[in-house]
Amino acid sequence: MALSLPPGLTPPEIAFLCEMELVTIIPRQRLEGVELLAGPIRPLHPPHRSNIPLWLALLLKRQRRANILPPPWLNTHSLTAILDHETEHAETFSPPPRLPPQPSSNTLPTSPPFLPHSTADAAPDALPYHWLELGEMLLEAASDDFEEADNVRKLLRGLREVRMAKLRSGVEVLDAGGGFKMNGVGGIEVGEGRAFITGVIDGLRKIAASREQQRKDRDQEELENGYSGTANYDDDEMDMQ
Amino acid sequence: MASHQRLRARQAHAPGPTYLAYTPSGKKLVTAGVDNYCRVFTTGSDDEPVTVDECQENNTAVVAGSGFFITGSEDGTVSRYSLENGKFEEILVRTTLPVRDVALSPDGNWIAVASDELVVNLVSIKDKTVRTLRDQPRAVKHVSFDKTGTQLAVSCTDGNVYIYSLDEDQPEMVKKVEGMIKSMESDAESSSKVLWHPDGRAFATPTAMRQIQVMSTSDWERQRVFKTGHTADITAAAWSPNGALLATTSSDLSLCLWDTKTQKLLNKFDEVKATILVMAWHPTENILSYTNNEGELFIHTDIVPDEHVSLLQKPTISAPFFHDPSEGRAGVAPIAKLTNGNLQTLPGRPRQRSGTPDSLEDILGPEFQDDPAQEDGDEEMNDFVVDDDGAGYAQAMGLQKKRTNGHLTAGPEPASKRRAYSSALFRPQIHEPFQPGSTPWRGQRRLLCCSLTGYVETVEQEGKHHTISVKFYDEHTFRNYHFTDIFLYDKCSLNETGTLFACQPNSTGDGNTAMIYYRPHETWTTRTEWRTNLPAGESVTAIALSDSYIVVTTSTNYVRIYSLFGLPIRVYRQKSAPAVTCAAWRNYILTIGNGPVQNDLSTQLLYTIENVKHDVVYQDSDILALPPGTKLTSVFFSSEGDPYVYDSEGVLLVCLHWRNPGQAQWVPMLDTKLLARRAGGGKEESYWPVGVAASLDDALAPKFHCMIVKGREAYPSAPVPHLSEFGFEIPLRSAVDKDGGGVRKRKGRRGSFSHDEDGEDEDDGDDGGAGLTTKSNEAKQYEHEQTFILSSTLHTQLASSTRPSTTHKRALGQLEIAIDRALLQLLGLECLAGEDHGMKALEIVSLMRDANGNMLELAGKVAARYGREVLGEKIRELAERKALARGGGDGDEEEDEL
Repeated sequence: MALSLPPGLTPPEIAFLCEMELVTIIPRQRLEGVELLAGPIRPLHPPHRSNIPLWLALLLKRQRRANILPPPWLNTHSLTAILDHETEHAETFSPPPRLPPQPSSNTLPTSPPFLPHSTADAAPDALPYHWLELGEMLLEAASDDFEEADNVRKLLRGLREVRMAKLRSGVEVLDAGGGFKMNGVGGIEVGEGRAFITGVIDGLRKIAASREQQRKDRDQEELENGYSGTANYDDDEMDMQ
Repeated sequence: MASHQRLRARQAHAPGPTYLAYTPSGKKLVTAGVDNYCRVFTTGSDDEPVTVDECQENNTAVVAGSGFFITGSEDGTVSRYSLENGKFEEILVRTTLPVRDVALSPDGNWIAVASDELVVNLVSIKDKTVRTLRDQPRAVKHVSFDKTGTQLAVSCTDGNVYIYSLDEDQPEMVKKVEGMIKSMESDAESSSKVLWHPDGRAFATPTAMRQIQVMSTSDWERQRVFKTGHTADITAAAWSPNGALLATTSSDLSLCLWDTKTQKLLNKFDEVKATILVMAWHPTENILSYTNNEGELFIHTDIVPDEHVSLLQKPTISAPFFHDPSEGRAGVAPIAKLTNGNLQTLPGRPRQRSGTPDSLEDILGPEFQDDPAQEDGDEEMNDFVVDDDGAGYAQAMGLQKKRTNGHLTAGPEPASKRRAYSSALFRPQIHEPFQPGSTPWRGQRRLLCCSLTGYVETVEQEGKHHTISVKFYDEHTFRNYHFTDIFLYDKCSLNETGTLFACQPNSTGDGNTAMIYYRPHETWTTRTEWRTNLPAGESVTAIALSDSYIVVTTSTNYVRIYSLFGLPIRVYRQKSAPAVTCAAWRNYILTIGNGPVQNDLSTQLLYTIENVKHDVVYQDSDILALPPGTKLTSVFFSSEGDPYVYDSEGVLLVCLHWRNPGQAQWVPMLDTKLLARRAGGGKEESYWPVGVAASLDDALAPKFHCMIVKGREAYPSAPVPHLSEFGFEIPLRSAVDKDGGGVRKRKGRRGSFSHDEDGEDEDDGDDGGAGLTTKSNEAKQYEHEQTFILSSTLHTQLASSTRPSTTHKRALGQLEIAIDRALLQLLGLECLAGEDHGMKALEIVSLMRDANGNMLELAGKVAARYGREVLGEKIRELAERKALARGGGDGDEEEDEL
């Protein structure tokens, strides 16, 4: 029996991936370092800040052993600025955070889960890949660590609406050979948009396919009986008038 | 004094709401009511009042300046009338809806008009220019200028007070005070007017609870409350001209007089017949006039009973604060309250800030201030100073000095002006003593101490006791606790072993002596807390707690050192006095005192560092380098044991070479004004220093831990902000042309292509740096220079510490490598820049520590890559010489310096 899940990642899966992101915490108690497969976690030493994966941060936060510092792009000031940018530029999304310089030749290039895009010293003016998931998770688990949690929530909602609208409107140009620039689109947006966009493209393809079929049939007909094609054409024009 | 008059109603207007105002001199009294004339009464005469015709009907406000008065009416006009000839002059402004209140600025140039429109108009009386205040969402009931005319309080009908700053050309809302006044209709009889206290540091409003709530304007904290006991809403209230008394009245038909200082009822008048709508004190005499909603005017002479009349004659008295803001961080009571007038015990007294460049107080000198006898006897002299514009200088500002602002008093004043202050020609400005990490009172709360272990907060409670709560950052190792404090501790020091408190003599009011209280943290065994007394009359200026000792500096200039078990170890007199503060770390103690007076009349700060255990003085009365006009904000030892200071300019300095007498240097490690987070400008914040500690990730990079205080505040307050940390950055260049790290966004949007190039170049110094702009080169150079100087400084700091150990050696080695790496990068940049930079390149190479000899080899390779053969040759020579020196013995270091 086939798995009935839609193609791509489900939101919980994306959220799971997002938990790899590093966030900054202020520990409330000492903790020995832990050696994990994903990398060592340094010993926690209050009041020194520490960057740890989101899943651990959420765990510690629930146990009241840490305070999570929201990343700088997750405050009302930055979000308002980004939202303004989004509403001003109707076609493009706000740019993703700047990548660090490439490391020297023999190491692999790093990508979002291994880049500190959500720590306390991240760039305040760009939404990282996992912005929505991370924002939602932090607001749910650590809303007391936000200065204005309600406003942040409101702004996130606004951003999400604006960007989803853009994604949807982008579909209009997705005709044969049409392209749509998706720089700066977040993980969950891709996941949410995937079903819709692929559906639309699939539908377009079907329409195009039937049209193609019609044309083929007509061509064949024309080939078979030479004059009927033009007569039909006239008929069509008559109908339209 | 005016002759005694029987209190009688004067029917000024037809029955209906009636309003009044005194002219600034108090000679005339203007009333306005429902009918189409105004009346001008003359103080002290029973004659028929002058009637000014041609007025609008249904007036709702009247204000009077010198020579004119202004009325506002329900038909929306605000008109000006002359007092001299009693004629209508002009209409200043028209509103579309009824005017509700008009306020006149103290300089008499502007009026604020509140109406049922949503905006408040500020209108210039001279040229009728209008500024509009739009931040309030609903109609406005009252407007009120403060005593300087720089702030306007707008009481909105939505129950909030909006405070506007009028300093700038465009008025700006600085504060929205919520939940203080009652939300009421704009035509209600009840009042929500903001009453600025004459001392200028606080205002009061009637509350929904029918009380009068005082709020300080420096921190917008609620201060004391007058529990009026009115059974209906307050309809009018007024401070006496000197602020010593408050009159309140309500629609329950009573009129009360309150003593500001104690908030006690002095007198109550019940024979009020109708609701009083406006009250006004006569500016100088013992008269309170009021009008009611029946068109009647009462001129109540001798309203203050004889037994309290002395209150009215005092100079301006302080608003009822919980804690006077002028007490400052040291918590030193204002001068008048101290028992022994010895100047040496009053180091905290701020210098008076002159209000205006040539205010009368300055010109006339002390003879014309606050002398009640003279005020009584010499009426002519009193009249001489006519307070025309209501600036308040006719009443002496007197003892109530405003708090000094460090930056304002930076320059020396002209000698002539200073002479006017007092007979003493020479008044040095002594640095206020403070406890590191403590803040002044803000409302009823205050931080006593903040360290990297935790912070201690005290809250004043009703009934003369405080509640002290000790909060730890590491809640697992330590347990937060709080206790009731009857001794009113005002100093505290917290570290990982325990908490130390100190209280001042006579803090409980029954003549107790100063006391020190040490409370160790809980461990596996109970440890006993202890208290010890200081000799009578001696007060504590600062305390410090280390892992092994307790240091107390006192007002008698003693330094008292105790062990952690309360055993007095040492007592000596501090050489530099009076003491400012102290700090301690393990066996080391650092004391700071006021030294000789400098040319700007402030004292130089001197510090002494000694080791108590080994009895060694490392630095003896050495100078603590502070630029003129700068104050010390905090002093502490880092977790590695180096003394750091933080000054009011936001610079963190470390004392280098402090173990060698005479060698100590203050090196700036971080200038918070140049932080990258402030590069964009517009961010207004300050940093409250907490400590310096090496981070866990990188033991070689100490971080500055602080609390970020947003806005214009200088001190953190509840809720205590999280600690933030910043890496060191020695101020080298201005923040503007610093690296692009601060303005990441622009670069990021340009795409990552250029960054890839940057990366390559940074790594192996690619020859084809054509794509690089000079700007990014500069930025990189700055970065490497920063690394170089920071690593060198840290190296020096580490090298001078006394305990050689393997970790110590390893750390030194790592720092040397860091230095060399930075130099190597700089060398690459110089080689890239061109042949003519060869000399500088060689100098860079000669600076290399080159612990293992590989670095010079690498330098040679870098030179070879850029094709600088001559430079390569020179580097080889240098390497050979160094190798020779290393081989031939460590003796001739001079070679290196060539």
